[in-house]
Amino acid sequence: MDMTFDDTQTAIKDSCDRLFGRMAGPARARALGHVGGADLALAEALEEAGFLDLFAEEDAGPLVAALITEWAAKAAALVPVGARTLVAPTVIAGALPQIIAVCDAAHAGPVRYAAQADVVIQIDGDAAVIAQRGDFTVEPVASIFGYPMARISGLTGVRLGAGSGEAVRRWWQVALAAEIAGTARAALDQTIAYLQQRVQFGRQIASFQAVQHRLVDCHVSVESTAWAAREAAARGAPAALAAGAAITAVECAQRVFDETHQLSGAIGFTTEYDLYLWSMRLQTLRQECGGIRAHASALVASAWT
Amino acid sequence: MEFNWPDEDAQFRGELRDFLAATLPEDFDAFDMGARERDNFSRDFAKKLSTRGWLTPAWPKQYGGLEQSAWQQLILSEEMVGHGEPRTGQYMCVNWVGPAIILAGTDEQKDYHLGRISRGDVTWCQGFSEPDAGSDLASLRTSATRDGDDYILRGEKIWTSYAGVADFCFLLARSDPEAHRHRGISIFLVPTDAPGLTIREIPSVFREGTFNSCVFDEVRAPEAWRLGPEHGGWPIIRKLLANERVGVARYHRAETFLLKAVKVAKAAGIMDDPIISEALAKAKAACDAARVLVYQVVDERAKGRQPDLTAYVYRVAAIRCEKLVYEAALRVQGSDSVAPDSVAAGQFQHAVTAGVATGTLEMQLNLIARDIIGVAGA
Repeated sequence: MDMTFDDTQTAIKDSCDRLFGRMAGPARARALGHVGGADLALAEALEEAGFLDLFAEEDAGPLVAALITEWAAKAAALVPVGARTLVAPTVIAGALPQIIAVCDAAHAGPVRYAAQADVVIQIDGDAAVIAQRGDFTVEPVASIFGYPMARISGLTGVRLGAGSGEAVRRWWQVALAAEIAGTARAALDQTIAYLQQRVQFGRQIASFQAVQHRLVDCHVSVESTAWAAREAAARGAPAALAAGAAITAVECAQRVFDETHQLSGAIGFTTEYDLYLWSMRLQTLRQECGGIRAHASALVASAWT
Repeated sequence: MEFNWPDEDAQFRGELRDFLAATLPEDFDAFDMGARERDNFSRDFAKKLSTRGWLTPAWPKQYGGLEQSAWQQLILSEEMVGHGEPRTGQYMCVNWVGPAIILAGTDEQKDYHLGRISRGDVTWCQGFSEPDAGSDLASLRTSATRDGDDYILRGEKIWTSYAGVADFCFLLARSDPEAHRHRGISIFLVPTDAPGLTIREIPSVFREGTFNSCVFDEVRAPEAWRLGPEHGGWPIIRKLLANERVGVARYHRAETFLLKAVKVAKAAGIMDDPIISEALAKAKAACDAARVLVYQVVDERAKGRQPDLTAYVYRVAAIRCEKLVYEAALRVQGSDSVAPDSVAAGQFQHAVTAGVATGTLEMQLNLIARDIIGVAGA
């Protein structure tokens, strides 16, 4: 048991920080948001640096893959890092495309990155179906919720064996938790910085105890989510831990969205201010993979039946 | 960063579980007993632990300890509370009263107290809160006035758990009335049979013996009872209370109640009800979140750092899980929850006191705010 980064993890973090500092961040997310689509340049850079293929690396593994997913989300990256680094390696052998979408046939609805994806991984009951571009039809959906999205129809592909659907779900839950941790952290940091500056009634808003307690509750939720995701990844996504991390993450997404917007006031809803770049994504993430009801039912099924 | 338990830790947990299975009745819960019965039980049990070195495993070897790691202390705490906490109040002596004496005690105090604690011979209570000093502990007014070589103690401590059965009180008193707040406080190790000390139970909605008042009416305290420097008690307290905040692996106990609620839900055939499964799953996720956050505290301690922020964050998460387990039990048992032997009733006291005992939730929130926001509150 050791809760601090070792030398390899520190080196990867420093290197990731530099890459995201150069190529991601709010300005980039805002610019891409205007044109739609995924950040193909960032995906290329991440792959070239080897950051998308650490799942099976001995000195990195799923834990570091989850950390990179978290950091990418914090940097407002528009690349499906979790799908590629955490979900795909469990069901697809060999080289992977950069843009991968994940969905569940049981939950119809727009899918993140579906229109950009070279591969779609679909849960269909207890099996996973791997569909290449051309094996499905997409209809882009103009969504305000932070990601490029599209409806998928007519999907065919290679159906994997029993249990593969469950494996996809477990790693998807871990990826979601890591993404929510990074996204919520950035939204909260942005809000704390804003409330430290903004003065009302002659005081910084962040000096009011009523405000502080709400920010701190958000902080506890973000920490809970980040560590739950890291532990679930490090332990190989056991079903109860993966679903538990997702449940903790959904609570976090809800709380952080509500509080950061309430405490930021009207500016929080404007696109001239950065909060929406992260906060709106939280609404997408908390519903993905079936949302709280599906996570709860997965947890109950794995822990107690 | 890595999450694997080394073999020796896993082995220690296994040995503890075997010992507890052989020693305790099934479904044991010390909270089912009255205060006196519980205390007698815990003294007997502590002796059994002591012979294996497991009462004070984290202590230095010279004081009867095994110098076990912070991680093994966590394992011990989890296994004990997961099995109904048969040590009851003994955990307090072991986790921070003893360590305080090791840290600041004279040779005589160490000789006198540490052996008694590590053998499980004594129960302690904690004389901190006062009628007008709860969360604002540094405003305490119980006084220790110099009288030659002695001090005269005057004042009242309140809400004191275990006082009715304790042999000693770990007392905070103001020895310098002129000094500002925490600067004028000294610690005293007071025998509860000291003349002038009156202990009275305060009736409560919980089982008997939960709360007490301790009135110090001109109690004469020789200098030998003072722990650490005169007026220098606060730094000792601050250092040791981080141990208290994570002293009880609340998430682990809460999870044992959650498992009982699951058993009831299964028997009633309601596990598939989405409202039930959501309540149970949220509670389990919250227990796991608190557990992984306590790892952050233990990691700091294992590396010789003082866990502050991580300890406060953990406390908030632990309070959340206690409450969610209670809510889940209520959902499962419905109107049966009010029966005295219901799972919900068992979890009730833990859930509703979680945010009050050992420093209120709001104090934890204030302390976290100081660290992560850094703007002084009003």
